[in-house]
Amino acid sequence: MKRFDCMKALARRLSDELVILSLGASVDEWYNAAPHMRDASLFQQQLGCVSAQAFGLAAGLPHRRIVSLDTDGGMMFNLGILATIANEQPKNLFIVVWDNECYQSIGGPPTHTASGRVDIAAIARGAGVTRAYTTRTVEEFDGHCADGLAAQEPYLVVAKVSGTVQPDIKRKHSDGREDKYIFVRHVERTENIVIMGPSEHN
Amino acid sequence: MKPSAVDAVIRGLKKAGVSIVCYLPDSLFKELYPALDADPDIRTIRVTNEGEGAAICGGVFLSGKRAALVMENSGLRASVEPLARMGLGAGIPVVMLMSYRGELGENNWWAIPHGITMEPVLNALRIPYRIVTEEERIERAITDAFSWSYSAYYHSAVALGGSVVR
Repeated sequence: MKRFDCMKALARRLSDELVILSLGASVDEWYNAAPHMRDASLFQQQLGCVSAQAFGLAAGLPHRRIVSLDTDGGMMFNLGILATIANEQPKNLFIVVWDNECYQSIGGPPTHTASGRVDIAAIARGAGVTRAYTTRTVEEFDGHCADGLAAQEPYLVVAKVSGTVQPDIKRKHSDGREDKYIFVRHVERTENIVIMGPSEHN
Repeated sequence: MKPSAVDAVIRGLKKAGVSIVCYLPDSLFKELYPALDADPDIRTIRVTNEGEGAAICGGVFLSGKRAALVMENSGLRASVEPLARMGLGAGIPVVMLMSYRGELGENNWWAIPHGITMEPVLNALRIPYRIVTEEERIERAITDAFSWSYSAYYHSAVALGGSVVR
């Protein structure tokens, strides 16, 4: 199963959701797989922060569906967030973990899931995220996207994907700061709120 | 903490517009945590480590709500990675309120590292901070931290020490 194909399936289901995603090649893949979601996606370079940030966003905007596109390396970096999410039970948080069993962006050394012993969905269930599943086909993954985007409790799907990157995709040129401004302005526009307002005259 | 100091913290947080507090409990702020839990205007989120709390606060910032990370100053060390990534990499601010363990007067050997590392770690991250040891300065320190962080879009910190916490 290719991550890019999964992304395209998920992208077809998204319109007014907000997405926070992890680092590495998945950033450029999402940029291309979901061009209509570029402004609504916060492209991060942060191992271990993605689902925590997504949960914070979900806590602040409880009426809005938030999608976290995390990774095996990122989730293993901070497993505690699974326990926090389980205890807090956000009704609007859908977590996808792209599990390619490697640190792809640095050439592919194995992550802990490559051993075949470590099961992130089982860890999530053990932490109290009861709706946590592993998928190996795009059709199955797409079904979990439908369920996860409608769930009224935390929902996590681990997508077992190959370590390949979609060839010939357009690379994103913006950095973390520009991405933040684009995302914040999108949230302001769609929520009709001010997050980063004008300076004071004094 | 005296009840009046707990009240001053909560007054400051509310004046700054905070509606979500992430915390990992410690002993010097022992009386503060249940007061935050009991406050109807503040949602508390208990975290497994302070770095996770920093990342959650970053997400809350992106929602337009205001959050604070409350912790012992040892939590600063656990937060360095997400703070550096979010603050220096993306300009996503986190305002921290920490108890000052390990300052002069400390009577626990295990807390000495917290005092020795707090200011150098804050300085390494270029995080401005104020150490408050008088109750009447708590509220202003918290609102000032938020004013600064929402102008700079960078982290700031308030450390409560001295007779405020002992």
